[in-house]
Amino acid sequence: MPNIDSEEYEVLLQFLYMAPIGLAQIRASGEISMLNPLCAQLLMPLSKDGSLDNLFVALENIAPDLQHRVNAFPNVSGNICDAMHLHINSSLSGKIEMRVLSLNLLKLTEDRLMAVISDVTQSVKRESELRQSQAWIHTLITGVDDYAWVKLSAGGICLEWNPSIERLTGLTNVATQGAVYSIFFPHSSFNAMGAKDRLNEADRVGWSLDEGWCLRADGSRYWGSCLIAPMHEAGCPAESEHAYCLIIRDISERRELNDSLRRSLHTDHLTNIFNRRALFEAATTELQRWRHSSHSLSVVMIDADHFKQVNDRYGHAAGDAVLRHLATALVAAFSSHHTVARLGGEEFVALLPGINQNDATEITRRICQNIELQSVRVGGHVIRYTISAGVSAMENSVGSFDELLQRADAAMYIAKSNGRNQVAIWEPSVSMTLENESPSRHSQLSFPRHGN
Amino acid sequence: MVFFRNANLQNAFMNLFCNLSFDSPYLLDVIHTMNESQLDGLDFGVIGFDKDCIVHLYNKYESLASGLSRPKVRNQPFFLVVAPCMNNYLVAQKFEDAYNLEVDLDEIIDFVLTFRMRPTKVRLRMLAKKGAALRHVLIERSSK
Repeated sequence: MPNIDSEEYEVLLQFLYMAPIGLAQIRASGEISMLNPLCAQLLMPLSKDGSLDNLFVALENIAPDLQHRVNAFPNVSGNICDAMHLHINSSLSGKIEMRVLSLNLLKLTEDRLMAVISDVTQSVKRESELRQSQAWIHTLITGVDDYAWVKLSAGGICLEWNPSIERLTGLTNVATQGAVYSIFFPHSSFNAMGAKDRLNEADRVGWSLDEGWCLRADGSRYWGSCLIAPMHEAGCPAESEHAYCLIIRDISERRELNDSLRRSLHTDHLTNIFNRRALFEAATTELQRWRHSSHSLSVVMIDADHFKQVNDRYGHAAGDAVLRHLATALVAAFSSHHTVARLGGEEFVALLPGINQNDATEITRRICQNIELQSVRVGGHVIRYTISAGVSAMENSVGSFDELLQRADAAMYIAKSNGRNQVAIWEPSVSMTLENESPSRHSQLSFPRHGN
Repeated sequence: MVFFRNANLQNAFMNLFCNLSFDSPYLLDVIHTMNESQLDGLDFGVIGFDKDCIVHLYNKYESLASGLSRPKVRNQPFFLVVAPCMNNYLVAQKFEDAYNLEVDLDEIIDFVLTFRMRPTKVRLRMLAKKGAALRHVLIERSSK
């Protein structure tokens, strides 16, 4: 058998040192046994204590279910995660920015796994743009029976439409004439203000494309793709001359096919509500919309008080039951077009387009009071718990969703310091208080982070 | 510590009387005057690179720790080929900032390096003397 001489060994080493993709070999517990430099570069900003001993620990706030996935994987070997997207707030360049890492996790043997990590931020952005273009083209070339076409005025009033609208929506000519196009959508997910936002978005980027529930005249719903494109020249100054083309397609069938994939990508495994990825995707869209509209956008950061004590005293199964209880309570309290997500650990976030800071605070206070009055029954125990929350509202001085989230987090910290079981609102003095109390705390607000 | 105007005298003095440690406060002032054979005598890794980040010095300790011989490393771009894991705001950016602001850099941080793909906790010392031709990264294994 030929020996690898030292020269060849060195060449192999350098090959791994220079590989422009992150590679790590880990044990089933997540313990890192080998990793190459690029992997260390991608993971170091996520390390809480400056070490890189365990992959699952490094990623626990970003992908809390990795250990669970490995444990639940039934086969002796095979792909556990395939191109799983991890949304992180990285600071590779010194400036905090949202990046997307792609993680592949391959089980080789019972206690040996290979992780491949790469930064796919740019390609994710390109893919998203490409998907929009493809959907647009697909809409144009699909058969005439498949869609309803409506011409809209500058104010979103239906002016003309093709005959298939009645077949698709059940709405007659009389019902459609003069109505705002929001009649095609359930009230809970669409209102007149949202209707104008979509038109503004179409003016700005050339189209507005969205998927969601649509409404038939008989009150039944179908899953539709809705495209709005301006019919006037780009930059036309006279708003009265603006007109738009609205195309609605019933894509219920396709949605069912994609549903399980969509769920697995956007759902938190424990609580069944949206996960971090879904939150950041929704936030990207809502922030863009906010910048070109006049409506409010608020964010609430919610954290279960003394959660560690619940885990320590009643066990992790009880802790999980509390998190599920809290998730259910939050989803019930907010509207269906709001995004309620589990950020990681016991931290939850609600993204509230159309809700101002005062209303967001009022809703959250009610949740706080309700949670205090309720109890969770699990394993013979009756557990009562409380939550603390911080509210922040989008304004021009906020540069990114991350910053908005940090404000909500800072306010939540104030709620915690003031005795928990309460809601605090972000204001400039909040950050100053934190700076004075604990200079290091402010810099730690960048996620991931543990609350308690 | 005695300082000489003449670099050769300084080196001779240091070789004779000083056992330079990783934490030595004098390193910022003297390391850029040391040649590779002098750096080979140190019990921590030293990499010297120029303003374009091209590696010129790679001491024996570092070569043994990384498993890479000098010819494989010398004249290579430091942050691209030799230490991609330091190509971030914690290390690369600090050298760039010090260079642009024309100030000295002498800072120690905890870090994880991947010697032969084994994650290893280290302390990194970043040294850049204003006006010196070479900048240096010093690497000490934390377990020592």
